This record gives sequence, structure tokens and C-alpha cells, in this order.
Amino acid sequence: MTLSGYEALFFWIFGLAAIFAGLLTVMARNAVHSALFLISSLVSVAALFILSRAEFIAGVQILVYVGGVMVLFLFVIMLVNVGAEERGSEEIFNNQRQVTASLIFCLLLVGGILYSINTGYRGLQSLRPTTPEVLIVQEAVRDQAHSPSATGSSRITKDAENVGGSLYRYASLPFEIASVLLLVAIIGSVMLARTLKQEASVDDLPPDAN
Amino acid sequence: MLNFFSLIILQEVESSRFAAMKQAAANPDLSKFLVIGALLFIIGVAGVLTRRNIIVIFMSIELILNAANLNFIAFSRYLSGIGSPNALAGQIFTVFVIVVAAAEAAIGLGIVIALYRNKETIWVDEIDLLKW
Repeated sequence: MTLSGYEALFFWIFGLAAIFAGLLTVMARNAVHSALFLISSLVSVAALFILSRAEFIAGVQILVYVGGVMVLFLFVIMLVNVGAEERGSEEIFNNQRQVTASLIFCLLLVGGILYSINTGYRGLQSLRPTTPEVLIVQEAVRDQAHSPSATGSSRITKDAENVGGSLYRYASLPFEIASVLLLVAIIGSVMLARTLKQEASVDDLPPDAN
Repeated sequence: MLNFFSLIILQEVESSRFAAMKQAAANPDLSKFLVIGALLFIIGVAGVLTRRNIIVIFMSIELILNAANLNFIAFSRYLSGIGSPNALAGQIFTVFVIVVAAAEAAIGLGIVIALYRNKETIWVDEIDLLKW
């Protein structure tokens, strides 16, 4: 799984961009700025997915997550948020004791997670002792085994084919359950966003009944 | 860029610990992906716990789900490098996490709109009808 050369450079660029954009999402004063920083973070993570040879998931992330969910967020921000923060009249963080307690908890979580990743990864490495050079050569061999594209300058991977085959063969039951989940989400969101007048008209009450 | 840094840290140039760090930076491995996922997760948790705007809290939840996705994809790549037959499980699970995140965002924002219609506020500390 070891990256090298230009892939390593792009990994560091997009990794640090994802973390930086995530930090600014949480710290921005304006909610629209937060949404735009989250979009940058999601696109950086999609680039990291492409570096991990998961091109189909990267495409799904950009289409569904950025193109659907974040656009929905921006619509709701426009409906609900009338710019009180940028006038400087509202606090954007909770009161000081809550923020301090949260930051102490997050620092403990950082320490715990990084320690466990370190220990676990060292244990994982001890199970399979191969040097990075061997892994890089194996990766290069596997990459060259794909069929070339029409212009001959790049290769066509089989990621979408493999993911689609597995999804429809071995994960077909979760797939159908996910479609039922989406149906329930659609019905629920339509029902939640109705106005009082619309709800009254369903029961054939006069429109100012509430 | 790595050469520039190695010039300014003079006393560590020949030590093996710096060489190991340079090797780890030049060839990022599974652990670097996991660390980036963990940092995104913790930033999302900090956002959920500290912000007052309910929509920014939702966006921090999306950051948390994204970090979990990154973790899944990193392990999927690692397992396919090893040659395990379950290598695609990470990508399949990521599809379902994205589906659930989209459904949750739709319902959550519907709740936010209904809340705004009734209480005219988006600050979570003003939504205290059930408080003692």
C-alpha cells in the first residue's frame, strides 16, 4: 500500500488540505464559509480515495456528497441563516467552560487514537515483514497489468466493475435495504417540511385552524 | 522541499531517526491514511461539541462520517495490497455510509427547518423547552 513519487506528494497535499479545510469548517464565523470549506474537505478526501485506487467511490462522493448533500446544506443555510453572525452580534462558540471541557476531551481523544494507531500498526507490520521497496514494486506490477486506454497514455482500472459486481452479488440485500431507507427518508423529509396550512388542508380543516 | 528541511536541521542529518522519518514521509503508508482520518474525526467531534449554530453541527457530523469513509478505503487498499479476498468490503461499506449520510442529512435539515418555523432560532442553546 506504500505510495511513492508523485503519489506521495499528492497524498501530502490533499491530506493536509483536507485537515486544514476541516479545521476551518469548524472555526468559520459565517455558515456559508463553513459549507464551502466542507466542500473543499470532501473534494480533498475524494482525491485521497483516487490515490487509494477507489475511483468509483471518489466519483460517488463528489456526485452524491458534494453535489447533493452540500447543495442541500447551502439551500437550508440560505433559508434559515440570515447573517446574524457576520454582523458580529452573536457568539459562535458555546460558553467558555463547555468549550474548555470539549477541547480537553478532544485532546485526550487525539492522544488515545494516535497511540492506538501506532501500536496497532506496529503489530500489523510485525505480522508481514516486507520492506517498502518490495511493496512499491508489487504495486507497480499490479498497475501495469490493467488494460491501456485508447490513447495509450493511461490505464483503465477495474474498480467500478469490481465494486458493481460485489454490490449486486454479495451485498444485494443491504443494497435493497438501503433503497428502502432512502424511501423512508424521502417520505419523512416531505412530511417534516410541511407548513401548518398544508397539514390542515389534509384533514379538510379550514386553513387557519391552528 | 525535503532536501531544504534536511539542511536546516544540521545535527539530525546523519542520525537514523531522521532518515526513518524522511523515509516515512517520502513513502506514506496505511498509518498516514489512518492518522489523517483520525484527525478529521477529532476535528468533527470538536465542532459538534463547541459550535452554537445547528447547521455547523450537522456539517461537523458530515466530517465525522467522511473520516470513517477514509478509514474504510485505506484498509480496503491495504487488504488488496496483501491479497486478501475481502479487499472490496471497505469500498462496499463506504457506499452504504454515503447513503446513510445523505438520508440523515435530508431528515436532519427537515427537522432544522421545522424547528426554525416554530422557534425562529438556529442557536442550540436557545432551544431549551425541555429544560428544567
